[in-house]
Amino acid sequence: MLHPAPEAKESRSASKRAVAFDLKGTMAPLTVLRLRATDVGLVERQLRVKIAQLPQLFIDAPVLLDLGALGDAAAALPFAELVHMLKLCKLVPVAVSNVPDALRSAAVAAGLGVLQPQVAPRPERGEVGGAGPAAVAEPPAPPAPRAEPERQAAAPAPAAHAGPVVVKQPVRGGQVVYAQNNDLVVLAPVNPGAQVIADGHVHIYAPLRGRAVAGASGLLGARIFCQKLEAELVAIAGAYATPDEIPADRRGKPAQIYLDGGEVRIVGL
Amino acid sequence: MEKGSKNRTPEQPRVKGRPAVSKVVVVTSGKGGVGKTTTSANVATGIAMTGKKTVAIDFDVGLRNLDLVMGCERRVVYDFVNVIRGEAKLNTALIRDKRIDTLHVLPASQTRDKDALDTDGVGRVIAELKEMGFEYIICDSPAGIERGAQMAMYFADEAIVVTNPEVSSVRDSDRVLGLLAAKTSRAQEGAQPIHPHLLLTRYSPAMVKRGEMLSVSDVLELLGIPLLGVIPESKAVLQSSNKGAPAILDETTDVAQAYLDTVSRFLGEERQHRFIEEERRGFFGRLFG
Repeated sequence: MLHPAPEAKESRSASKRAVAFDLKGTMAPLTVLRLRATDVGLVERQLRVKIAQLPQLFIDAPVLLDLGALGDAAAALPFAELVHMLKLCKLVPVAVSNVPDALRSAAVAAGLGVLQPQVAPRPERGEVGGAGPAAVAEPPAPPAPRAEPERQAAAPAPAAHAGPVVVKQPVRGGQVVYAQNNDLVVLAPVNPGAQVIADGHVHIYAPLRGRAVAGASGLLGARIFCQKLEAELVAIAGAYATPDEIPADRRGKPAQIYLDGGEVRIVGL
Repeated sequence: MEKGSKNRTPEQPRVKGRPAVSKVVVVTSGKGGVGKTTTSANVATGIAMTGKKTVAIDFDVGLRNLDLVMGCERRVVYDFVNVIRGEAKLNTALIRDKRIDTLHVLPASQTRDKDALDTDGVGRVIAELKEMGFEYIICDSPAGIERGAQMAMYFADEAIVVTNPEVSSVRDSDRVLGLLAAKTSRAQEGAQPIHPHLLLTRYSPAMVKRGEMLSVSDVLELLGIPLLGVIPESKAVLQSSNKGAPAILDETTDVAQAYLDTVSRFLGEERQHRFIEEERRGFFGRLFG
């Protein structure tokens, strides 16, 4: 949301014709080389000692250069020479982090990616958008969701006034309905073992006996409304409540569920 | 339920080579042991008793027992898989019932597994059965929701979902109803959805009264499909399976009565539901569905 305009535009158009690939944020393990000196010869000597001890850990390993410890001294770092040395050591330098703005172009010229400063990761999703309409967000619950082979229709590409996704048939055990970038309105029961998910609100004008997830992409203001609360799980933007956490006097009754200071609140309608 | 079948006389469409209006019916449940094969045998027999040319296909490849329940296991030479693979003609594999000449069985193979079934092969056999003038093609599904079950339901026009009045069976039936709405030829071609019918089997009003069993209305509330019939729990089912004569043939039993009602409703007649109340005088109980 806070990206500069050109980037935001690019990712939007990518998600529109996202058939050729998925864009995923990932937490792949990566060796970080946190530099404390700018003398490439010195770094090399010490590095070769390490590699000799545990060669299998280093051969062909992608490496992230972290300049954070260098401070102002980073300006003296000869990027091209450093990259050349690392490659000779059979490492694959891929990117650099904590790089001063003045050195950015030098890093790119040396063939390195520039890692943006860390954004606080969203807690509840492993997958980040762009995967097309069939994408189904995994609910945040600890128990693994059941296999859901027959995914139902999902939201069309985001457009102005697209209107919510409306489901008229019962959502039965094993089925998943996901309204991407949208609200979801279900006019029939959501049965045990079923999941209804929306990036916006979830409205169920019937009993909710399965799982419901609102604000699946992190929208904290999303809410779940249902006519009869018998849910197996309700979740909003990563916070969830299991049946045991649903107050007894709310069970079987019309309810709305929302987030209040990170806590799931379940109140009557 | 179905208007078309009501007005047709039994003899009419039995001209060979002239496709009658055939209905493919899958008997399915998800859960095992709820009475799919018993229901397939009884419903097929009941429909055939009205003079309609009927075939029951055993999709439980590897664990065949429809032929046992229907009492023709000694006459099995070729089977469904042989026909699919072109190793036998459909006509040779079909077994004609000795009691009712409009009733036929296509047995499953005992030596193969469910991977032997494929959409093309099953589709060919069903098309050929229609060509032969079969009016009702009853597909006895194996338990589970995997390949065998999906093959059994793929070409269905109607589904009889067999459910026991207990939570796990009801959940599994719900799952199967989801598959019927998504993983069948009708669903994938955007045709009219399959008509599901609920058949509640092994029902014991006494246990319901004691709160030990889900009631008819409990099950209906969750599944939300029309009730085709309620089959009472009875020893007659076990005895008839062992004898190889579907229970419906012995009209003195309550199970036979319940299946006869079920078949009549399936063919479009209106019948009040029975066997829901414990007391015999409550025979003509509430009408559901």
